[in-house]
Amino acid sequence: MKLLFVCLFAALMLTVLASCGGQADEDGVITLVIWHDKEAEVAAALQTKLDELAPDIIVVLERKSGLTETLKLVGNSPGAAPDMFFFAHDKVGVYSEMRIIVPISDFVDAALLDLFLPKTIEAATYNGRVYQLPLYFETLLFMYNRAIMPDDDVPTNTLDLFRFMQRHTGGGHFGFVEQFNNAYFVGGWMHGFGAEMISADGVPMLDTPEMIAALHYYGRLMRLMPNEAEFATINTLFREGRAAATIGGPWLIPSIREAGIDLGIAPMPIVSETGLPLAPFMGVQGLHVLRVAAENPVRNEAIRTVLNHLISTDIGVALAQASGSAPALAASFDLPVIYNDPMVMMMLETAQTATPMPNIPEMDIMWTVAAGMLVDINFRGHEVEVAAANAQRRAEDLIALMR
Amino acid sequence: MKLNHKFAQKIGLLLLNVFFIALCFIVLIPILYALSISFNAQGGLLGSDFRFIPRAFTLDHYRAVLVDQPLFLWFGNTLVLAFSAVGVALSVSVPGAYALSRFRFGGRQKVFSGLLLLHAFPAILSMFAIFRLLSPLGLINSRMGILIIYVGTMTVFGLLNLKGYFDSIPIEIEESAAMDGAGMWHTIKSILLPLARPALIVTGVMVMIFVWNEYIYAITFMTGASNYTLAVGLYTLQATEMTGSWPVFAAASILVSLPILFIFFATQKYMTTGLTAGGVKG
Amino acid sequence: MHRSKNLKNALMAWTSLSPALIFIGLIILFPIGYTFYISLTNMNIFNWFDFRVVGLGNYRRALFVFDSGFLRALWITVIWTILNMVLQLVIAFVMASLLNVQKLKYARVYKTILMFPWAMPGYVSILLWRHGIFNAQFGLLNQWLYQLGMEPRRWLADDLTAFVVCMIVNLWLALPFMMMIMDGALKSLDKSYYESALIDGAGWFTRSVRLTIPAIRPIIAPAVIITLFTTFKQFDVIYLMTQQVGAQTGANIHTVLTYAYESAFVTRNYGYSSAVSIIIFAMLIAFSLLVTVLRKRGQSA
Repeated sequence: MKLLFVCLFAALMLTVLASCGGQADEDGVITLVIWHDKEAEVAAALQTKLDELAPDIIVVLERKSGLTETLKLVGNSPGAAPDMFFFAHDKVGVYSEMRIIVPISDFVDAALLDLFLPKTIEAATYNGRVYQLPLYFETLLFMYNRAIMPDDDVPTNTLDLFRFMQRHTGGGHFGFVEQFNNAYFVGGWMHGFGAEMISADGVPMLDTPEMIAALHYYGRLMRLMPNEAEFATINTLFREGRAAATIGGPWLIPSIREAGIDLGIAPMPIVSETGLPLAPFMGVQGLHVLRVAAENPVRNEAIRTVLNHLISTDIGVALAQASGSAPALAASFDLPVIYNDPMVMMMLETAQTATPMPNIPEMDIMWTVAAGMLVDINFRGHEVEVAAANAQRRAEDLIALMR
Repeated sequence: MKLNHKFAQKIGLLLLNVFFIALCFIVLIPILYALSISFNAQGGLLGSDFRFIPRAFTLDHYRAVLVDQPLFLWFGNTLVLAFSAVGVALSVSVPGAYALSRFRFGGRQKVFSGLLLLHAFPAILSMFAIFRLLSPLGLINSRMGILIIYVGTMTVFGLLNLKGYFDSIPIEIEESAAMDGAGMWHTIKSILLPLARPALIVTGVMVMIFVWNEYIYAITFMTGASNYTLAVGLYTLQATEMTGSWPVFAAASILVSLPILFIFFATQKYMTTGLTAGGVKG
Repeated sequence: MHRSKNLKNALMAWTSLSPALIFIGLIILFPIGYTFYISLTNMNIFNWFDFRVVGLGNYRRALFVFDSGFLRALWITVIWTILNMVLQLVIAFVMASLLNVQKLKYARVYKTILMFPWAMPGYVSILLWRHGIFNAQFGLLNQWLYQLGMEPRRWLADDLTAFVVCMIVNLWLALPFMMMIMDGALKSLDKSYYESALIDGAGWFTRSVRLTIPAIRPIIAPAVIITLFTTFKQFDVIYLMTQQVGAQTGANIHTVLTYAYESAFVTRNYGYSSAVSIIIFAMLIAFSLLVTVLRKRGQSA
């Protein structure tokens, strides 16, 4: 019987081992793996472009949920880590500190980087080096439902927006909704008041007078918003025609159109108090190269080919159209298909004032702390000044603990 | 009088059935919610006029899972892992639990309480250390690696659970067998295991379900798409704000749960002890 | 003679135990030791590769986590654990007994359906509860209230309601396992222990307390203790129901683990958060020793 157990055990181990697939490359053909978290349409567009490199280089796109967390763990581990990943620019600080990624300038001539909109390159620059090949960028947009908010009713400033909300909120309907507990969304308001969550050198700025003013102002609007702040609720309200306007990402547009909403897109309202427009965060999506892949000479060469192959307006435009975003190559905006697209041009306009999401490691903490601060104010009824001071102290403590 | 008693019993059974049907419905509400989303042709996760039977019925979301996703690859991976894990976990737990239950040896009590205490360490905190252990061995992104993790995680439960049942079986039965000259392994096989069948099934099913639904280790350690298990595949389908679709995710969740229910239903039959009731037990 | 038999016995025992202990050593023991080692270093994202041992500094800093917020979280966790365990044990026992009523024809069908919560990955069902049932705007519960002409409410907004809601979700998730354990335990007993006519309720109760429960107690004890720890360590339910970033509900219910997550793990300072983990582990050990003492006292009483 003992023998039986041992045999059983060994047999099982062997079957399991034998069924382990290796990722060996066949002669001359090299397979690169890119992780991403994008919509199927975006992945398909990128795949089409990368298939042009076959049969010498095969690129496999794998969708990963929780990509950022997995990378933190396996990012330095050959065999488990991918060769590249396709993600927003805001994690380059963390990954470069952990030596998971290498600068893009190792693969792409500096002169070629000048072809991109400066802001997209600036977004991915950490400690003076560029860590991402930008493909497209996105900002939040002011969207409205023409059936409830006719074009000439669209507020140009926040005071008008507030008055519109007062008139149109009630009975399960809302004048304006957005994810009011999410710092990514409220960030636009903070910037519109001249506040920022964190300074460039990593000092939290949650209790500045500008921030307090922004939070006070926002608190008045918040009272006219729904009971839930999370994305499913907010987006469903707008899709069902129960909210006249929202500030949301371009990724919403296909489902909004599908729901039969007559969608309008307008410039961000001007903050009446400061004269500045709401300035949402900007996210640049692009490719990052992993160190473990770059250290392998064969892969290194293939990665160079892939990256340079992607510096072309056609793929930028294809991706931008698939994602509803704006291409990162400056020359794209000379193409009729882009400059005739009002939504993309609106995004370009918003991007003039938008703030790229900070890419320093400290920002990871700010998202959590700032969200906590918003919940304290919006749901727990804490005084703005108290909540801001608490959050500031908390952020300082946590950042001190990072080292 | 006897008739009355029978009648009362019938009423009681009827009430009990009604109670269980109602209970099943209540328990199933969230599942029915997912089911309704997965069959609904219009709308997503939320809607202001939710109904359990959707107005516009569609199978598209199921088609999206079954055709567009390598569901059968995931299923196969999960099956291999789940059965290996059950096999290995039981093979190591049965002799271990037997030793804990039957032998009086130095350190026995310490092993036992040590095992209980170890369970107190939150598994989620072990992730990083396990990575550091498996990475130099080349066991990241390998079935062998994840199998070791699963068996290691579930063995404590297996040992303790089986020991509990073994303890409840009177030792005299084995002693009489031993007097007949049967060896330890023979005694385990022919006497203890049949008697402990419910325990073996409970343990096996428990390991099975754990492997089936475990996603935290799997998404971290099984990074290659060809190694995905059902839970990882499901996780990649998760609807977020920007990508994915709740109806497809709901459909996939339902599909992933069905085999477990089937296994559970099938094993129910064997949830009795191997020997006829009223036999040797005291 | 006697001695050598003892020795042989011990040898046999350890041999039989060793395969299991190797796995446990690798996956459970090693991580604890390694976490302790990391807790003595300054490993963080800024010196990911060149970290070095810095001594007990992390522990001094870790005490910072254990402020009044932590104390509150500890209390909530203890109450959470006790309430959940008591309810789980009582409900699971009653259910398992009812399912074992002899003439209940469809018991297998009921049992299978009641297992459904367990068949789905936990995070999926928690998200279904959070968004499908308890959403304040569109949730099923509020839609029903609305149809009954009542005011919809924010279920997860205040601490007490949110706590109760989380407990319902946790029971929903955990009861199938406990029911299965109880069912298995009852099945391994002689039928005369628990078999009872449906109608003599009083008889059933007395028999349960006097005979059935003492008989199954040793069988279910390990599962109960493991569930106890699982409940204590519960993270997903409370985090996903009330604290997901962007979807917070306003309720301020933290367990030890969610609190540690928010106040230590977010820093990505592995040395520091390992120290916090080790301290929490020590607390859990203290907690379990307390449970053991109480259990022993309960047994002798």
